Amino acid sequence: MQFQIPLAEPANMASTSRGDVLALPKVRCPNHPDAMLVEDYRAGDMICPECGLVVGDRVIDVGSEWRTFTNEKATKDPSRVGDAQNPLLNGGDLTTMISKGTGAASFDEFGNSKYQNRRTMSSSDRAMLNAFKEITTMADRINLPRNIIDRTNNLFKQVYEQKSLKGRANDAIASACLYIACRQEGVPRTFKEICAVSRISKKEIGRCFKLILKALETSVDLITTGDFMSRFCSNLGLPKQVQMAATYIARKAVELDLVPGRSPISVAAAAIYMASQASAEKKTQKEIGDIAGVADVTIRQSYRLIYPRAADLFPPDFKFDTPVDKLPQL
Amino acid sequence: MESSNDVALDIIITNVVAVFRTRCHLNLRTIALEGVNVIYKPEYGKVLMKPRITASIWSSGKIICTGATSEEEAKQGARRLARTLQKLGFKVRFADFKVVNVLAVCSMPFAIRLIDFTKNNRPIASYEPELHPAATYRIKTLKATVQVFSTGSLTVTGPNVQTVATAVEHIYPLLFECQKPLCK
Repeated sequence: MQFQIPLAEPANMASTSRGDVLALPKVRCPNHPDAMLVEDYRAGDMICPECGLVVGDRVIDVGSEWRTFTNEKATKDPSRVGDAQNPLLNGGDLTTMISKGTGAASFDEFGNSKYQNRRTMSSSDRAMLNAFKEITTMADRINLPRNIIDRTNNLFKQVYEQKSLKGRANDAIASACLYIACRQEGVPRTFKEICAVSRISKKEIGRCFKLILKALETSVDLITTGDFMSRFCSNLGLPKQVQMAATYIARKAVELDLVPGRSPISVAAAAIYMASQASAEKKTQKEIGDIAGVADVTIRQSYRLIYPRAADLFPPDFKFDTPVDKLPQL
Repeated sequence: MESSNDVALDIIITNVVAVFRTRCHLNLRTIALEGVNVIYKPEYGKVLMKPRITASIWSSGKIICTGATSEEEAKQGARRLARTLQKLGFKVRFADFKVVNVLAVCSMPFAIRLIDFTKNNRPIASYEPELHPAATYRIKTLKATVQVFSTGSLTVTGPNVQTVATAVEHIYPLLFECQKPLCK
């Protein structure tokens, strides 16, 4: 209880350095009463920017107590305040947990630990914390960057607070949020890719996806073939030339509307197939189908649709290893 | 513009779903054993009637009839079904007949660019090529849903036949803008 009060002040003073209009500085420079004092929190000073006079003194230092280096595997973390709070996502939880004792005195006569109550720390947000952990695990499996994870967490929080999808499995909602976040960031992942890192079926993720869009009243952009080109091509080990050719082919095919009603993933896969078959690095339909998550008959179908116009679809400066008329016809 | 009401568009109603109640508890086992054309599943039973009405019967007396091709036929089929149940010995009363859903298909004489259509009608239309090849357009005021395929066929579902017709009229001009030969 005692510690609450001094902690409040640095926060207040910290806000003055951000230019917060409402929080007036408690002390003023005698020469420049109008100047907003700049806080140097490392040294614990309030400095007047006009004349450099140190006005405040012995302000509580809000920096970290110890410097920690990530390569040092010190078993004891000397920090006494724990991790940084995540105020955006949690409810501002400041409870203290008592961990399991290590010494002999913490066990009573029967061998049970004396202080047992480690549960119920944040019961209202426990499911949410669990979901965040799950999201991080899933995103980690496909190496998604931090910004997508943060966006997913935010979406999940919004959905969770709304409670309109309360009956659905949290994992399903988390997977759908991950899918939406990837879309919103402009790097969409196919449902099958999300399925691969989640235990939820594609059907359920699709359902939750639609429900979330309705609940949050947002919409997402449509997927295009180009979004997936770089990922599929690099997974297949195709050179940049082939990737650019495939992107061009797919875009042209959609523009000329040779593939109405086909999913962009299938069109992309067929385009990659065509481009790779025309170059030195030939990939089979099965390999491409494996990477893209489409059946090889689907690739065959889409390929049949784009094959007749193959000559128009290739970029003008493409070097053919196999000429257009020698392309396989399936 | 020729987009006036259903000039050459045939709206074919493929399915009408109706519910009604018999005001008595039904013993499903009896129906299963003694009725004709019955498939019995432990949760609920199913009955088939000759002119294509399939009914799901619950023991509480609620019955859902599907497979009719018009509202009239739905009602006739439901009555026929109630008569059969009556013959099996249940005190059946024909109560609360209500048509719940009408499914119709319709075909436009032109093909449609789904991507443009979705872009123009952003929050109302939704298109997920990975999940379903059609764009879904929900009309809130009519409580109807139209699924638009790129070939130009539509399937419309709504609470009654009138709504379905109105929905088609509503959506025709929007589709007309995004047809294939024009905005290529």
